[in-house]
Amino acid sequence: MAGPNLRPPGRRNRAELGAYATLSLISAFCAIPFFWVLLASIDGNASLFLQWPRELTIDNYLRIFLVEDGTRWVLNSLFVVGTATAIVMVLAGLGGYALSRTRAWWKRPFLYTILLIRVLPTTALIVPLYKVLLTANNGLGSMLRAVFGNEMARSMLRYVGFIDGYLGLILVLATMQLPLALWIMKTFFDSVPRDYEEAALMDGATLVQRIRRVLIPLALPGLGAAGLFAFISAWGDFLLPLILLSSPELQTLPLGLFRAFLRVNTIDYGFLAALAFVYLLPAVIAFGFARRFLVQTFSGGVKG
Amino acid sequence: MTPISKPWTATRWTSMRYETRVAWQLRLILLPSVLLLLAFVIYPAVYSVYLSLTNEALTGAAALKPRFVGTRNYVRLFNDAKFWNSLLVTLIFVVGSAIIGQFVLGLVSAVLLRRPLRLKPIFNSIILLPNAVPEVVAGFLWISMLAGGERATLSRIVAFFGIQPTDWLQTFPLTMIIIVNTWRGIATAMILLTAGLSAVSEEVYEAARMDGATPRQMFTRITLPLIMPTIFLYMLVSTVSTIAIFGFVYALTRGGPGGATELISIYIYNQSFTAFQLGYGSAVAVVALGFSLLIGIIYVRALKVEV
Repeated sequence: MAGPNLRPPGRRNRAELGAYATLSLISAFCAIPFFWVLLASIDGNASLFLQWPRELTIDNYLRIFLVEDGTRWVLNSLFVVGTATAIVMVLAGLGGYALSRTRAWWKRPFLYTILLIRVLPTTALIVPLYKVLLTANNGLGSMLRAVFGNEMARSMLRYVGFIDGYLGLILVLATMQLPLALWIMKTFFDSVPRDYEEAALMDGATLVQRIRRVLIPLALPGLGAAGLFAFISAWGDFLLPLILLSSPELQTLPLGLFRAFLRVNTIDYGFLAALAFVYLLPAVIAFGFARRFLVQTFSGGVKG
Repeated sequence: MTPISKPWTATRWTSMRYETRVAWQLRLILLPSVLLLLAFVIYPAVYSVYLSLTNEALTGAAALKPRFVGTRNYVRLFNDAKFWNSLLVTLIFVVGSAIIGQFVLGLVSAVLLRRPLRLKPIFNSIILLPNAVPEVVAGFLWISMLAGGERATLSRIVAFFGIQPTDWLQTFPLTMIIIVNTWRGIATAMILLTAGLSAVSEEVYEAARMDGATPRQMFTRITLPLIMPTIFLYMLVSTVSTIAIFGFVYALTRGGPGGATELISIYIYNQSFTAFQLGYGSAVAVVALGFSLLIGIIYVRALKVEV
């Protein structure tokens, strides 16, 4: 521990060596699982075990998109998670601003509620949530059928339905990311001086102009952080698509991977590893961008 | 809002009207978030309490005509060995992975990475990497690591120390998912504790060094006490987030073998969507919600959030 300066050189080297050894062990623990997915995905004879590929190939990747439904899974995931992220950014940007600037009595209770909402496990909410969505979906379905007829209503429900439709999954995914995003944006706007807005106010700018010309440019770094975290978390989520989606046309990457793995008799590890890698990559890239915001995010949990 | 600048405060009347207008604008732009949270979090949370008092089901007679059954689900819960098992499994999982595994490795990493090591950015990135992995992929990666037989990665590693290979997920299921969750969460602990450590000023260490304190003394007498608040908050945050875990454990074991890894989240899922007993599943969910809320309230109070 403690700064290494002012230490006799011999002891310092030994301590440094120990630090390297320990960190290498921890890093090995973190890194080893990734080797298999990388190597198996380019191995023509991939198995469940870690091995050097004897026959290098990109067939596994081609199969995802050409033979299997991979293209659809990727597009569905991008569409659902992308839309949810966009909704989170817009709502958290606006809401975070309001929470930062308001002086109303409900500010403190509201912020406490947001913190408490963050601790509620989605797994514990999923049953009533499913029931709520089912009721809403049945209501919407009978309404659409009455207006547009059965055929039309069915294809519309694929998009705007709450169960087995894009809209339901998008809204629920967005809502689950909203508390953290609101918190990030509120903290972010707290650090933006009000002078800019007041200057715009003096010039007689309306609320919309103020948001467009002044606040959005100022808020971009905060929105970036909020959006990245929402994306990573929604992208990795498995429970919500598992429960809310059933049609093959709507399958997203986590479901595609999970179900491909369940096809026990025809299990193809090269294909699965390639698919896992395709699914993994956007999350890792987003995480790379999000890294510098990591500490700030926890201020939602640590410093307030 | 802010004290209003001159032209607006010309008379008290206009200033009042302006303040009111801004207050309404702020409420308006917060409204969509409030509606979503009400519809998909608050209402379901309250509704789950109601559901837990009914015999609601997805199939069978109860699906058509759910009845109010009072506390029957809770009585059943109390006598349900599988429920108590899931609570115990969750407790061991939380203590083993969040409180011990992630915390110890995260603290060690955070402390060691304070040194100006040349490979620091590389270590940092590698330790952060598992944190980005989607739940299903995490499960999938470890299916390979933990597979049975001597060719599997873990078997080969332990063979080095002369330990016999085994089917790890069958023999030590709970230990294995604790290891996997530790793997996923070292980064969270490391980031939080790094933030805590960086708040401890170098001068304190200088002073201790002058007085001839050993590194161990400095760690136990200075560092640990000073980062205690951070550690406490980390424990709360990681406990609630670990209670919520479902995806990777479900992908790895689906709660098996024989309920050995049936976390409360998996038990809720199995009761509700495999056995289709929504009412009973809700009762289990209410218990989980209660626990999480309790920890959440301690957390909010401990945080002393300035808002």
